[in-house]
Amino acid sequence: MALEKITKNNNGAMSSEFFMLPNFVLSLIERVLNQALSLDPQLSQKLNAVKHKRLVVEIRDWQQSIQLVYSADQLHLYSAQSNENADCMISADIETLLALKNPAMLTQLIRQDKLDLQGDLNIAQTYSNAFSGIDIDWPEQLSKYIGDAPAQQLYLHLKELKQKSSKTDTKISTMLTSLCQDELAITIHPLELEQFKQKNRELKGQVAAVEQRINALLNSFLPSNTR
Amino acid sequence: MNETEQKTTHFGYKTVAEGDKASMVADVFHSVAAKYDVMNDLMSFGVHRLWKRQTIASSGVRKGHHVLDLAGGTGDLTAKFSQLVGETGQVVLGDINSSMLKVGREKLHNLGLVGNIDYVQMNAEMLPFPDNSFDVITIAFGLRNVTDKDKALRSMYRILKPGGRLLVLEFSKPEHDVLSKAYDFYSFNLLPTMGKLVANDSESYKYLAESIRMHPDQDTLKAMMEDAGFEQTTYQNLTGGIVALHRGFKY
Repeated sequence: MALEKITKNNNGAMSSEFFMLPNFVLSLIERVLNQALSLDPQLSQKLNAVKHKRLVVEIRDWQQSIQLVYSADQLHLYSAQSNENADCMISADIETLLALKNPAMLTQLIRQDKLDLQGDLNIAQTYSNAFSGIDIDWPEQLSKYIGDAPAQQLYLHLKELKQKSSKTDTKISTMLTSLCQDELAITIHPLELEQFKQKNRELKGQVAAVEQRINALLNSFLPSNTR
Repeated sequence: MNETEQKTTHFGYKTVAEGDKASMVADVFHSVAAKYDVMNDLMSFGVHRLWKRQTIASSGVRKGHHVLDLAGGTGDLTAKFSQLVGETGQVVLGDINSSMLKVGREKLHNLGLVGNIDYVQMNAEMLPFPDNSFDVITIAFGLRNVTDKDKALRSMYRILKPGGRLLVLEFSKPEHDVLSKAYDFYSFNLLPTMGKLVANDSESYKYLAESIRMHPDQDTLKAMMEDAGFEQTTYQNLTGGIVALHRGFKY
């Protein structure tokens, strides 16, 4: 049974179990999620639809299962012993789970066999919808500590900074590309690469044709008894 | 546990009359109730919260369940169970000690947890509930203080619904010798000193260390649960066996 399995796993993962790391990490995540709940009132409303429903998420590459329950206006996160009592169970790699930020991906990922889902699909969709649409009014939250005007100013500055850094990123990337391609000539242009590939394919075809002709010639010159 | 006579039992390392143990344990907890939470955090470096989280994770508690948090003390488990069972469920916080119940009730009221919690002073050996009343029973760091543990386990089995489960979270025997030695040093030297400094009560914490050593180890407790009628009984060592979480079902 599940508890026995975990008891055996204990021997393999002594240090993490000794310090109860999975539980510790989950308690931190729970705290962050509940903080997000208090900052975005919309989130609670969205999650009301799955109140008291148990979602078990199995992260395959981490070999961890987490159970999620929303009740009494709070999210409760615990390690899951098994998928017993789960209203919905999702099993996938962490990369696939992160792709669920886009709720539309859910059915696509199931079809691609990247994600297993058992139980009520609606629960998974509600959680995915709720967390993908988190909208925290940061200026409002900041204003509680530093006042309305400074909070708004700070928010605008940070927003501007983010835009600027994104622009700078693009600029540096373009500059590096042109430097490597045109000035230093250590890399080639994508078009040149495409042209090279095309020529390679043609050459491959020609070599194959020559090979076939040589084989045919060899076969015709060989004496019939050695064939 | 009764090694010499039927009428004696252990109180830490002392052998006392069976009838006296409950009142002696009561004195210990009357004495530590006010500082219980602070001392728990201090003594376990906060890890007791993670042990309790693991207990909740293993409980399978859900909406509408009836839960008994035995020896619930200051209500750490009750607080979470109350949220998980919702308004259609019920949690009973039971403790033999009135001081602990008072602290627990005040704490849970301050957290705004009212409506689905009952507070009952009770003896774990004679639980005042009808047969088949609860879906889940937990007893966290309480069983070792009970005078007749077998009787208490049978009593818990009686009031558990078929399909229900008992979770016993209790100090146990460390799996490795090195850990065991370090743990002994900590328990017998540092713990009473901490008790004296924070709660001005070294005797209670000396009793705590001694009672842990006198408590049955993992396999003995598992066998005791099976004797009481529990099935699919398993245990999980936490923090190298310093604490063990036993789980048994009634079918």
